[in-house]
Amino acid sequence: MASPERKESALSLLEVDRVSVRFGGLLAVHAASLAVEAGTITGLIGPNGAGKTTLFNVVTGLQPPSNGDVMFDGRSVTRLGVHKRARLGIARTFQKLEAFNSLSARDNVLVAAEMATKARRQGRSVAAVANEALEQVGLADMAHITVGTMPTATARLVELARALATGPKILLLDEASSGLNDEETGAIGELLARLVRESGVSVLLVEHDMNFVMGLCSQLYVLDLGQVIASGTPAEMQRNPLVQAAYLGTAKEPAA
Amino acid sequence: MKLVQRLRSTLGLSIGLFVVLAAYVVYNGRQAPKLPGFTIENIATALFTGLAIGALYALYATGIVVVYTTTGIFNFSQAAVAAFCAYLYWQLRVDWHWAAPPALALVILVVAPLIGLVLDRLIMRKLEDAPVVIQLLVTVGVMYFILIATGQIWESDTSRKLPAFYGTKSIDLGPINLTYHRAIVLIVAIIVAVALRLLFRSRLGVAMRAVVDNRSLAALTGAKPNIVSSAAWAIGSVLAAIAGIMIAPELELDPSNLNAVLVFAFAAAVFGQLRSLPMALVGALLLGVGRQFQISFLKFGGDWTFARDGLAPIVLLLAVLALPQSRLQVGRVARNLKPIERTSKVWETALGGVVLIVLFLALSGGWLNFGIWDPASWNQIALNRANPALATAFIGMSLVPLTGWAGQLNFAPMAFAGWGAYLHLRFALAGDGPTVSIWWLVLVGVLSAPLGALVALVAGRLRGLYLALASIAFTELMAKLFFPHPAAGFRDINKFKPFDVFGVDLTTRRQFLMLLVVLLAIFMVLLTMLRQSRYGRRWMALNNSEAASATVGVSVASTKVVVYAVSAAMAGIGGALFGTASGTVAATSTFILDKSIPIVLLMAIGGMAYPIAALFTMFQLMFLALGERLEQAGAPGWLLGILTFLRLFGPGLGAIGMVANQRGAAFETGRQNARYLPWRKDAKEDYAAARAKRREPEIGELGLSQAFSVADVVAIERRLGVADDLAAHGVARAQGVGVVVAGG
Repeated sequence: MASPERKESALSLLEVDRVSVRFGGLLAVHAASLAVEAGTITGLIGPNGAGKTTLFNVVTGLQPPSNGDVMFDGRSVTRLGVHKRARLGIARTFQKLEAFNSLSARDNVLVAAEMATKARRQGRSVAAVANEALEQVGLADMAHITVGTMPTATARLVELARALATGPKILLLDEASSGLNDEETGAIGELLARLVRESGVSVLLVEHDMNFVMGLCSQLYVLDLGQVIASGTPAEMQRNPLVQAAYLGTAKEPAA
Repeated sequence: MKLVQRLRSTLGLSIGLFVVLAAYVVYNGRQAPKLPGFTIENIATALFTGLAIGALYALYATGIVVVYTTTGIFNFSQAAVAAFCAYLYWQLRVDWHWAAPPALALVILVVAPLIGLVLDRLIMRKLEDAPVVIQLLVTVGVMYFILIATGQIWESDTSRKLPAFYGTKSIDLGPINLTYHRAIVLIVAIIVAVALRLLFRSRLGVAMRAVVDNRSLAALTGAKPNIVSSAAWAIGSVLAAIAGIMIAPELELDPSNLNAVLVFAFAAAVFGQLRSLPMALVGALLLGVGRQFQISFLKFGGDWTFARDGLAPIVLLLAVLALPQSRLQVGRVARNLKPIERTSKVWETALGGVVLIVLFLALSGGWLNFGIWDPASWNQIALNRANPALATAFIGMSLVPLTGWAGQLNFAPMAFAGWGAYLHLRFALAGDGPTVSIWWLVLVGVLSAPLGALVALVAGRLRGLYLALASIAFTELMAKLFFPHPAAGFRDINKFKPFDVFGVDLTTRRQFLMLLVVLLAIFMVLLTMLRQSRYGRRWMALNNSEAASATVGVSVASTKVVVYAVSAAMAGIGGALFGTASGTVAATSTFILDKSIPIVLLMAIGGMAYPIAALFTMFQLMFLALGERLEQAGAPGWLLGILTFLRLFGPGLGAIGMVANQRGAAFETGRQNARYLPWRKDAKEDYAAARAKRREPEIGELGLSQAFSVADVVAIERRLGVADDLAAHGVARAQGVGVVVAGG
């Protein structure tokens, strides 16, 4: 359904331009830039505490940046509120679960679907959108269960379905595969690939599962100590000495 | 760097407060007929008196801050403990003629710490991980319980006066006269401030500060969280006792009067950002001096003679708004969930409504005769009691969407109700004719909504404790500045007319009772529909996680405006009905914080998220009518005793009981009894499953002192509900034990 022109357009769908975030004396993100092309899956990797989640928070508006700009769909959204960005088509999941715990899975997804405009829903009814989202993540027969009583991995899928139900242009997934087994991770990977292929959604994902990232992403950004230290294809990143140093440490650093 | 920032923010806050205060004073001063002269003597006297009163506020605020910084619990019962101690001191000193030193020693050094320890051990320690809403409601329950108990022990039929230390003797300091009592207050406040300063630098003090940051981490480094928590509550109570004994001679000895200091204490504590003792002290002194200068140099003229009471709530509101607020943050964990949360079907509520209507028809008609019940129908007095209780149910119900679903803690339902009553009085009753059309209620609802929206716009970004404090300030503002004003129309004899419905005049009390019951049933059905609508869902979602709501496109701010407006409309209609039920209302003793709090407590005990909690609230309030009827009918004394006890102590004890049951009586009753309804097969299954689960051993019983067997580990995982997660990770059980031992 994606229009072919958009895939070839020169402007990236999401551009993070030299964003910095300062918490008191700590520079959590330092002049980080990245771009997500429409209709692709982009990965954001880096060691723990590199600032990946903070950067996600900046893109979705939960964390105002100290410096820098966020461009989405050809316009600056840096000053836009969280819900306005969501309505423009930015959807996300959370590393630390933020499902609506006291609601059922279906109600979780319905809240999101009800906020989507008719155009975003592509003319379908709210109920149809919600059901489809639940089916896509494989939760159709658990729709009536209260999310707060679900195992963490299942609740993660509810968050994914909730994000899908907003009819997003870009999906930001913060460790979507954590807590899932290999089979489920594979299913998520297939689902994402299919979404990108069929509905032209773009994906930006933070991941620790390297196999998952390498197989899925066309572009990778590596964040370390708040800075983008490298970017390129997965194969390039595997060979990059900077990346290896960030993950494994170097001989020069005695602490590592 | 950090210090500079902090200084800057406090300075900004102080300047802001003073600008607003000055504007407030100047505005009110315009009408002042005559200002006393600004002589050195007048100013110095006012200054010292103000400082002494401020020092008393400081004692209260300090107690609150000490407990809050150490345990994370904001103690609403501070002033109630103070009132109790003041009465106890009166008992020893005045009634039993003890000398001052032993009486002081017993109250301050023995009884007060004991109260603190008991509160800590029995109640507060169990609240560590509870949601803020529950923490607040439980301490409010403690406050309510202590106040009622104090009022019962020392009944108000005799007048009591606690003498000032050294009577009226005073020190002559040149231009001013300072009584010994006030001089002592100042000295005590300084000693307390210095002592606390030293304490917080001591080993215990460091441990206290560490514990609040991270209890278990502090425990690992050798601090003893339990001792620290006990110490904080004991110190808090001692400060309360000192404050109560010192302030009682300045005020009348009356529980609710002594409790009213709370708003000043809150304002001072919030001025110190709830953390800083020196800033709380500064805030308290500023409040004391500000108040005294108002009294000395401002004669509020004309319609504003009452206006000086507005100082404390204004300062509280501004200070809360000026506090640094947390950004959208992670949602709290919802507890005690059922795998399948079933919401009532609309037809079920409608059926319940019909049952309610029939029941009341039978009761009020005297057709139901419960043995001792007087069959000669409800008389006027009983109906006079029943009708306001029913009307209050509407006011309580306004909390269901706002607090129960959207999680916005609100102590202001009576303020909204008062606004509704005002509107009704202003517009609906202005016309001639003996009755007023029921449709005016719709207008009252519509016009009440904007006040709710306004509150949401001002306080919308506040959460948890701060929101609760803002709603308290709002209630006090309405009660102190709006309702007493002649323009509100409550000051003159106000007369609420009966309603007419479709041309039928409902002039008798029983007709009005039935109107209330029918409206109540309609409201409950409407709420049930609302809960299942997109709005109900969205409000629940907002309660679970504001951050996640925003990221799916929900505007947090406008959603709050809507839910506040809906709640205010319901409470407003409730207020109009309440006025009609009472015939005439004394607004300044009705639409106030003291009357709001029991409603909030009763709704919470009933189960804030369920409309049926409003019926629970109503029945509790009807105990009064019930008791009188039973007494007339010659019921046995013990039964009347139980009813009186329930009526007086029910709200407080019930709220304290929320330590154990956080979702309220409606939830538990439903969970236990839904299986008896013929169409609820699911509830029967749930009940059977819950019984089966109860037989599983608790983790404690599995024995931490001996080695785990694989079976133990499996049982623990099942009990913790992580078995599925582990299976998902492919953790095989036999190796799983190895992983645990290896320190994974």
